[in-house]
Amino acid sequence: MLTATRPPLPIISSRKLAFPPKFKIPRQVWVSNMDTVEEEKLGLIDLHPEVFAERPRLDIIHENVRWQQLYRHVSYAHTKMSYEVRGGGRKPRPQKGSGRSRHGSIRSPIWVGGGVVHGPRSPKSYFYMLGFNARLNGLRSTLSAKLAQDDLQIVESLDIPTDDPKYLEALVEERGWGPSVLFVDDHDIMPLNITAASDAYGHYNLMPVYGLNVFSMLKHTTLVMTLSAVERLEERILFHLNRNDAAEATAKYKLSSV
Amino acid sequence: MISTLGATLKYRSLVGTANQASKVVALFSPEWTTVRFRFHADKVAKGPVPRRFGYEEKIFKGGLLPRTSYQDKRLPIPDYKPKNSWNEKRALFGQNDYIDILGPSNEITQKTLHPTQLLYNVPHWLRGVKGNEYQVLLRKRKFVQKEGYPITHPTKWAELNVRIKKLYKYLNTKTKSPFWKHA
Repeated sequence: MLTATRPPLPIISSRKLAFPPKFKIPRQVWVSNMDTVEEEKLGLIDLHPEVFAERPRLDIIHENVRWQQLYRHVSYAHTKMSYEVRGGGRKPRPQKGSGRSRHGSIRSPIWVGGGVVHGPRSPKSYFYMLGFNARLNGLRSTLSAKLAQDDLQIVESLDIPTDDPKYLEALVEERGWGPSVLFVDDHDIMPLNITAASDAYGHYNLMPVYGLNVFSMLKHTTLVMTLSAVERLEERILFHLNRNDAAEATAKYKLSSV
Repeated sequence: MISTLGATLKYRSLVGTANQASKVVALFSPEWTTVRFRFHADKVAKGPVPRRFGYEEKIFKGGLLPRTSYQDKRLPIPDYKPKNSWNEKRALFGQNDYIDILGPSNEITQKTLHPTQLLYNVPHWLRGVKGNEYQVLLRKRKFVQKEGYPITHPTKWAELNVRIKKLYKYLNTKTKSPFWKHA
């Protein structure tokens, strides 16, 4: 096992918050390392309370999860109507005389094998767009819930010494990180070692900051973010919270706008 | 009285040949009276009285399970294969849904990617579209006409147009308000 040589700790001791909060206290978290299996705390940083310490709104989180599941769903269920079913153009028997019931076609809806009247017609899309602020607050609520429930871990970077999957597993088990872990970094091309190591496991996943979403955060037990990812995430969310030209972004979704 | 009748009919044997006249016993006669000799309590005391006589219960109550003629092969039941919750599609579900919030924006125009632009598995004329069947088919026709669909899929093209025509007539003659208000 490689032992990391470091300058004297703490390496990181403070962090300047953008849009400093006036009446809310910043939350503090440890920054750990990924170099060794055993945890080494490298420092303590502040997290912006408006991103990581909002009171989690379960209804907003639920709305977000529901939206993520539904907006991309297209139902391809399809039934044929009477005139679409093959055959059925001829009158089966004369109107009168046979003593049997009268019919005009063998594919009428009352016949077996006939058409379905008001059945599903494919494709049916369940698309809808959740409001911009609903989604923004969904992110804030989920991040706050993750931090409050001790499921948010900050690491310095995702560089690990080997690409052995066992190393990653041992690291996660040693530190008591959940069965499933979502590693989030700023850049979308991750270091080679962690990419190779997490490839062996379906429950260790890598994601860039722009890919972060409520569903994934809830699906994975632990959320591990790098310092740069935290910076980027905070910058983006605080930008949207404090911008004064949000009319276009928060406007109702129109097909022609995209 | 009924038991007397039963007794009479049951225990009266037909004696003699058909030529002989047989006396039919009357249901009532002042000479004799009926005496109860069978009691339900005695029947119950003998053992449990069958309930729902004639009813065949279809529920399995015990005994050997049905056996097939072969002993070595398994019964025809589909093998249970649990779904892999952590395959790539399921593990990364929802990724990039918030790209317009968290993603980079163009420095000049401030435009970001929208999640509807990333719906690769949805037909391109259905991306970011919600509508009833008529609206969806009209949009499909508008897109698909320019891509050579009438040449490559003539039957489907004809069916599409027929369906649109039928829906137009139905919605405008058989429904009072806009269709989606009824739905």
